Amino acid sequence: MRGATILKATDNKTRDLNSHTLMAFSGEAGDTIQFSDYIEANVKLYSMRNSTELGPSAVASFVRAELARSLRSRNPYNVNLLLGGVDPISQKPHLYWLDYLASLAPVPYAAHGYAQYYCLSILDKHHHPDIDLEKGMQLLQMCADELKRRMPIDFKGAIARESRGQEWHTFSGSRQ
Amino acid sequence: MADRYSFSLTTFSPSGKLVQIEYALNAVNQGVTSLGIKGKRPSSLATLSFQSKSNLLSATNGIVLATEKKSSSPLIDPPSLSKVSLITPNIGMVYSGMGPDYRILVDKARKVSHTAYKRIYNEYPPTRILVQDVARVMQEATQSGGVRPYGVSLLVAGWDEGIEPPLEGHDETGAGRKKTEETAATTASPEIETDAEQKLRKSGKTGGVLKGGPSLWQVDPSGSFFPWKATAIGKSAASAKTFLEKRYRDDLEIEDAIHVALLTLKETIEGEMNGDTVEIGIVGSPADHLLGYEGVEGAQGPRFRKLSKEEIEDYLTNL
Amino acid sequence: MANPMSIIGKNAVAIACDLRLGLQALTVSNDFPKIFQYGPDVFLGLTGLATDVQTVSDLFRYKVNLYRLREERDISPQTMANLVSTSLYEKRFGPFFVNPVVAGINRTTGEPFICGFDSIGCIDFAKDFIVSGTSADQLFGTCEALWQPDLEAEDLFETISQALLSAVDRDALAGWGAHVYIVEKDKVTKRLLKGRQD
Repeated sequence: MRGATILKATDNKTRDLNSHTLMAFSGEAGDTIQFSDYIEANVKLYSMRNSTELGPSAVASFVRAELARSLRSRNPYNVNLLLGGVDPISQKPHLYWLDYLASLAPVPYAAHGYAQYYCLSILDKHHHPDIDLEKGMQLLQMCADELKRRMPIDFKGAIARESRGQEWHTFSGSRQ
Repeated sequence: MADRYSFSLTTFSPSGKLVQIEYALNAVNQGVTSLGIKGKRPSSLATLSFQSKSNLLSATNGIVLATEKKSSSPLIDPPSLSKVSLITPNIGMVYSGMGPDYRILVDKARKVSHTAYKRIYNEYPPTRILVQDVARVMQEATQSGGVRPYGVSLLVAGWDEGIEPPLEGHDETGAGRKKTEETAATTASPEIETDAEQKLRKSGKTGGVLKGGPSLWQVDPSGSFFPWKATAIGKSAASAKTFLEKRYRDDLEIEDAIHVALLTLKETIEGEMNGDTVEIGIVGSPADHLLGYEGVEGAQGPRFRKLSKEEIEDYLTNL
Repeated sequence: MANPMSIIGKNAVAIACDLRLGLQALTVSNDFPKIFQYGPDVFLGLTGLATDVQTVSDLFRYKVNLYRLREERDISPQTMANLVSTSLYEKRFGPFFVNPVVAGINRTTGEPFICGFDSIGCIDFAKDFIVSGTSADQLFGTCEALWQPDLEAEDLFETISQALLSAVDRDALAGWGAHVYIVEKDKVTKRLLKGRQD
């Protein structure tokens, strides 16, 4: 998107960092790609070097450290991130909220930007710590519907992805 | 040029020795003898204050550093020559070996105690930390390019403000027990020693708190360092150590320690022994008269100080 | 981002903070502690910019871990205070946007100790209480009203909790639960105050 102009309807703003960690990002156009490429490459490099994968909390700490370093550099990245994953050892799900200032918070549900104001109120009401995946997908659908209804932007659909610890499944692709 | 071809002069010989370091030790072993003796660990020194000038060292404990001050010519002005140096208010040192190298180390020790410690924590480094920092400087000279090892061994004596572990076999309550004593009023069971306290007493450790009291260290040109109760370095180190082994006792008061130091020095000294040819530094109770001011609550004078010519001569007459 | 505070009692200190993480008026998380432990009885509270709270707490974890290895002992609260001060002043012309609070008991002397700092490391020593963060003004009021000398541990807990909760209830940008630490000679008690979640 460039101002009011839609340039692409199928832009995927998620990355697989390893077999059990996923990252979603938003922010300044060039920065998001540069930064997520860098993170993706380094997390994968770690897996190759050590024949083991970083857990979600280790990935989150690494990303935060890189973003915090960038924050006090001459030209910081302007990227907001959500990091999700299932810890391969404890099999517990993790979600991290990370903004461009490198504030990292473990959260049960999260959103960035304007979407926060709509999504968080829905999630505050409907989210419980013990909901299953199906209910989670329903909540995401509710959020997407709400954004469609309230925001003066056509998002050209949404991508929702899940992790069951082993591999990622992409659910709904781009909808027209 | 200098930075392109700058390699360490200290390289291994085929037999696995670093002969440059051995040569540095040879330089030390030709140097004038210095010695250090640690006195009895005081039990209530923290509360002891400086009393009167005539009674300077009564009932105090600590460490003595002593060395011979040799002058090659009668024309030299002895008081301007100094081998015992103050590093921090509670730490001092003396050397055997090459004088100029020692002066560099004194400068570096004084500087590092501020840059690496006082300017960060607003307190002076504990003795072991200072010793480690000086030892690092000496070790770096054995591995860096374009330099030679320092031709000195050091004796570092210092006092650390901290708690002292209870003496083994004693039921004395030192500063380490103070906390439990204070709770006595509320818990009404002051005499019961906890398991943790018993363990600490046995191990001689303090459980995460700085171990206080006096300590005496030797640092060698290689950068290795050792804690001692009493030791000697330099030309007559071996005979002096044998002498010290005979004379040293665990309950030496500092007065006695100075006495033993002078006796040891007497065995090795060649010329006359007087206030000009003997130099002594001591770690004792705070020397508030050296503070330069008085009447400030909580202000404490330096624990390390050099004995004056007159004080040394007093001890020599009693020898 | 809201506020740690700490108060002194008889042979004990307390340090407490709320749990909110927010962007202006938007609450992002209600489980974001701002008190960090650097020794058996040394605590640091950090308020200000969330990213700097994390960066600074990580920095001190690194510094204090190295201190403990080098010195083979735990850092005292006074030494910690000077370390915080010098570390913050190193960034005099590009500061971390934090207002730290140190609380602890000195294990050599047995004395409780608290102090606060501005963002460039000027230390504010106090005999009674230190407050920091968005509700600092309110906390001054509640602490002035509730604090008294020589509080015993249980009363200290009650005082700090009521002071904190009363203050954050008067501040829209703070609250959402709180952590309270009571530091006594040989014991540290951590309590969670659930607080209002609205």
